[in-house]
Amino acid sequence: MPIADRQTPTARRALALIALLAIVALRLEPQLLRFPFIDRDPIGRGLGVYPDRGVEQFPRFLQAVRERTNDGDSIVVVVPMMRWDDGYSYAYYRASYFLAGREVLPLVTSDDRAHEDNFRNARYIAAWRWNVPPGNRKIVWRGEGGMLLRRE
Amino acid sequence: MTAVLVAIVSLLVLGIAATLALDRRARGPLLLGTSFLYGSGVIFLILLGWSTVGLRWSLVGITIAALVIWSSIWFLTNKLPRPATADPRPVRPHWLDIATLLTLIGYALYATIAPLWEWDFWAIWGLKARVFLEHGGIDWRFLESQWNTFAHPDYPLLLPLNYDFVALLQGGWSDRWLGALNVAFGVALLCIVRGLASRESSTVPAALVTLTAASLAVSRYIGLAEGPLIAYGAAAVLFLRHGLLFDDDASWRHGAVLLGFAANVKNEGIAMMVAVAAALLVIKPRAILRLWPALALVAPWLILRTTHALPTDIATGSVSSRILYRLPFTAEILTFLARRLYEPWFWAAVLAGFLIAPAVQRRRESFVVLTTLVQLIFYVGSYYATPHDARWHVATSWSRLTDQIALPITYVVVLMLAKTVAGIESPDAEARPEQR
Repeated sequence: MPIADRQTPTARRALALIALLAIVALRLEPQLLRFPFIDRDPIGRGLGVYPDRGVEQFPRFLQAVRERTNDGDSIVVVVPMMRWDDGYSYAYYRASYFLAGREVLPLVTSDDRAHEDNFRNARYIAAWRWNVPPGNRKIVWRGEGGMLLRRE
Repeated sequence: MTAVLVAIVSLLVLGIAATLALDRRARGPLLLGTSFLYGSGVIFLILLGWSTVGLRWSLVGITIAALVIWSSIWFLTNKLPRPATADPRPVRPHWLDIATLLTLIGYALYATIAPLWEWDFWAIWGLKARVFLEHGGIDWRFLESQWNTFAHPDYPLLLPLNYDFVALLQGGWSDRWLGALNVAFGVALLCIVRGLASRESSTVPAALVTLTAASLAVSRYIGLAEGPLIAYGAAAVLFLRHGLLFDDDASWRHGAVLLGFAANVKNEGIAMMVAVAAALLVIKPRAILRLWPALALVAPWLILRTTHALPTDIATGSVSSRILYRLPFTAEILTFLARRLYEPWFWAAVLAGFLIAPAVQRRRESFVVLTTLVQLIFYVGSYYATPHDARWHVATSWSRLTDQIALPITYVVVLMLAKTVAGIESPDAEARPEQR
């Protein structure tokens, strides 16, 4: 230790020790320390369905739509929740993830503005828990609470 | 799971050449930590470059490119004068490491317990990776589309392209085990923390600061870019601090390169570059020139982002009018931020610890303190500029932002306190004589 060094006053050292112990203690994560020793299956099951809690059928529907469409296809998603913050944002984002490679188009945007042109122009309509009259479209598939329609 | 583990080992091996090119004497945990971070950065640059020249990604092509780069770095830098840190002190284990290890095991089990579940993973980071994988490269049409602004097209792509590397290895998309990458980033940072702490203190403080940093190095937000941003950003700041304090060239090189990669992870990483530059401007202005690798590394993405006109949500509309509108509400905004501060007792303890440490030590740590403060100003400033509801923005981001800046300041405060407890006031003395 260099000669210039000197002992720090005792009070400061005591306070430093308290602060040091406090920081270390506050940074210990009991949940992580315990995690290897607990039954993790329920947590895993819960987190596995977390993104789609309450609508577990929806990702299965999207997966089925994915299997029946090709890269580059344009698809609009119709769901009962047609306001952005009431669930359409979830449906649209989730569809974008599951249908990566396709062009997923929204019917509603974050300002709650409707985009009916997307409905008219899209090659496919993926309607979940919502009855869309086929009109000039062909029903390609039904299942998992919804149907897939293709513009003819 | 095998593909993710193979990817992590591949990134580690890929990065070894880069680490040794910057610091020939890097060994032990520091070599491991920096190698993984450089490997991850290099694979990002390969995929970015591959896509920019219009080639479709393929595992064979990417592997050949990686091997060529690895060999080039290895053989070219072998002929150059051997850069090395001045102080390659070995790291000694301590029983406190058991608690650190247990924290990491717990985190690894948590991060890989299920397919990635966070909203921002499947709406931003994972979404882009999956879209790009389908496209065989960066899908600029997707990023430019007016319908995809929710995916933050302007965010840098280091993490999505790392996910794509894993997907190329496993031959298709699966988000089941991608959480393991989060673990690797956290472990890499802790290896660096331990390696650097061992260079300036004895075993007990080094083990203590590593234990304290363990829960800060591993992000709670699995699959999001917070993990890699914390890893690159904190490692960069700690290396630059080491370079400044100990006049260590190798640390300067590591710091500048890691800072460049941090800027390729999130926009906050770009802000961190500016924060570091601002801190250096106050402390050692000429040293800013040593950050050129950071600028060189972030330049390609900034150019691509500009040429493709990718929108930044915070810059939409009139930023100045939003700031002017919110300025009179400063008291309310700051009160709200204080109320929503995650882990307030921890921050209070860090602040108290900083004030308790002797003034000479506080002055010595002015680089980390200034960098943290400037970054904090950027974060708070973003709430004045946001086009979203400010309360919503604070509620959904404040805890993540404070997580991003916590590690470096905690590191220096713990080391200062350890020195004070050991009765050492000289900033250059070791925190405690080595126990043998």
